[in-house]
Amino acid sequence: MEIKLNPLTRVEGEGRVIVSIKDGKVNDVFLNIFEPPRFFEGILVGKNYDVAPDITARICGICPIAYQMSSVQAFESAFGIDIPKEIEDLRRLFYYGEWIQSHTLHIFFLHLPDFFNLPSIFEVNKINPEIVKIAFNLKRFSSKLIEIIGGRVSHPVTAAVGGFYKTPEENNLKEILKDINLVLEDTVKAIDYVSRLNFPDYSIENVLFVSLKDGDNYPILKGDIYSSDGLTIKKEEFLEYFNEYEVPHSTAKFSVKKDGKHYIVGPIARFNNTFDKLLPLVRETAKKYSITPPIYNPYRSILIRLIEILDCLYRSKSLIENYRRIDKATVDFEVKAGVGVGVSEAPRGILWHRYVISETGRILEANIIPPTSQNQYIMESDVKRKLLEVKEDEIRERVLEAEKSIRNYDPCISCATHFLKVDKLYLNNR
Amino acid sequence: MKIGVFKFSSCDGCQLAFFDIAPEIINSEYIEISYFLEATSFNIYDRFDVAFVEGSISTREEEERIKDIRDRSKIVVAIGACAVSGGIQSARNFGNFEEIYSFTYRENYFKDINPLSKPISDFVSVDYTVRGCPVNAEEIIEIITSLLLNKTPHINESPVCIECKRKSIPCLLVMGSPCLGPITVDGCGALCPSLNRGCYGCFGPIKGANFESLRDLFKERGFNFEELIKTGFNAYNPYFRGVIWR
Repeated sequence: MEIKLNPLTRVEGEGRVIVSIKDGKVNDVFLNIFEPPRFFEGILVGKNYDVAPDITARICGICPIAYQMSSVQAFESAFGIDIPKEIEDLRRLFYYGEWIQSHTLHIFFLHLPDFFNLPSIFEVNKINPEIVKIAFNLKRFSSKLIEIIGGRVSHPVTAAVGGFYKTPEENNLKEILKDINLVLEDTVKAIDYVSRLNFPDYSIENVLFVSLKDGDNYPILKGDIYSSDGLTIKKEEFLEYFNEYEVPHSTAKFSVKKDGKHYIVGPIARFNNTFDKLLPLVRETAKKYSITPPIYNPYRSILIRLIEILDCLYRSKSLIENYRRIDKATVDFEVKAGVGVGVSEAPRGILWHRYVISETGRILEANIIPPTSQNQYIMESDVKRKLLEVKEDEIRERVLEAEKSIRNYDPCISCATHFLKVDKLYLNNR
Repeated sequence: MKIGVFKFSSCDGCQLAFFDIAPEIINSEYIEISYFLEATSFNIYDRFDVAFVEGSISTREEEERIKDIRDRSKIVVAIGACAVSGGIQSARNFGNFEEIYSFTYRENYFKDINPLSKPISDFVSVDYTVRGCPVNAEEIIEIITSLLLNKTPHINESPVCIECKRKSIPCLLVMGSPCLGPITVDGCGALCPSLNRGCYGCFGPIKGANFESLRDLFKERGFNFEELIKTGFNAYNPYFRGVIWR
């Protein structure tokens, strides 16, 4: 017998857990994604390269800048464009805005209520309006930062292959410096507060951490792909070492290293792999609250996200202070036939794009691998650990815990679904 | 006022507007969010005073679900280009679905996916539309407050061009860039033109726009009118149908 549990809540997109019952106990569990696919790879074929950043942004309303950055860099790589430091710095700043925004949304609006067993931020607000005020402050600050660079928060409009359609005025950007100390203080307060919450005892096992490495930077905009078993590869080599596979009991595609090892991407992977690339001041704060690598407890990812916000804020501050507007917002380039790969660290982990382009700049092939599909394995295996062998009459109660373990990974189902397989059986039975 | 926020085929970006306006509504005694999967684990799927619907209808299951929501709701508000026009995923409506499908998936699992992605107004009556990809959160507030005050919401229905004139932004069409401003409803405050790029129509076509005239102008300048619209996020908007796609 199969029981389809209620749709997942406080995650981005549509999914649910399905359990199969035998002899009164759960004997199998799977994560069922029923978000309808939107066929982005198919839509992109035949389009001119310059619309890809805006089209792929629409894969995700929470992390559109990540899509824009992976996408523009893929074409820049295909056309052999060198991006000047000033433009890269502005892109980083833009991307920090998105990390702060996306992490804030997850930490406070989606994840935090779990630690109080409350349904939403609205109820958290009743018991602790202070922490909710911090959430609103961080949201407002990051919205302003993104707006100044990108025009608007969701699906911003300035990112272009070769640079920006327009770069922000110095005054506009520097004006937000007056708010930055407040949100820095707020973030430390939030770390202090959240670190004192109760974290369930839980540890993920036998998974590798995969993230980017980018010199002395904490990875965000670009880099080589690093796996915690010691492998470092170029972005172009991704599909030589990582593979998608299907399993008979599930319709979702998984991603695995070709040697059979499972892995995760995102804050936990980045933190464990590149803790030493956080700013010294941030590392000190992290140590003060005993947030140090390796972290295997996914519930503690909420703390990692806060630490990443702190790092983004300090780096944003110095980038804004040193910002000088350049008149020429894009570099000149020539369109040519070729293959381009772009990779960056979306808030949820590695976001990989590959395009084949004709000599007139038409897209012949597109392939996009978002972070959430790479985290499918760990999410499903955590849910299995929570629910296997559970007695039928205890499922409803235990599933709440299982849902929490999915939320630990901040899944973005809209992102994942553009290539996840959805079994037709479940589409009719919402 | 009992509010439900619903998601269909979409990116989630428009329902995020409710997080943007959270500081305004979090302490309101007039608003009760009774269904909003992304924001809360406590959802009551019963009757709604206002249903805000994000996303397009692209599966048979969604066709059934939107009708059910309509039956349960006094007011239905379509939010965003997906719900209003079919969204970016409606770009597939102008190609060969099987081909587009095969570029994304190797196997033929999705028998329930419709070849066309359509706006919700193709299936149910819609009381108000909030346009844009994404929506402007201010317009959501305008709808909510108007309904609370029992007045007609003021949603802008003038083209982007008007806003450019107000803001003294030099005309991009005159300067030599393709721009959909003359046929696109404003709601963004002429955002793209103010940032040195032509409007790509994410708020969608304005009722009664002179499409023919802009098409001729594009042709004269050597721009591809149809391609720009098909790339856009409102290509399957009812105003375009029958005029652009005959």
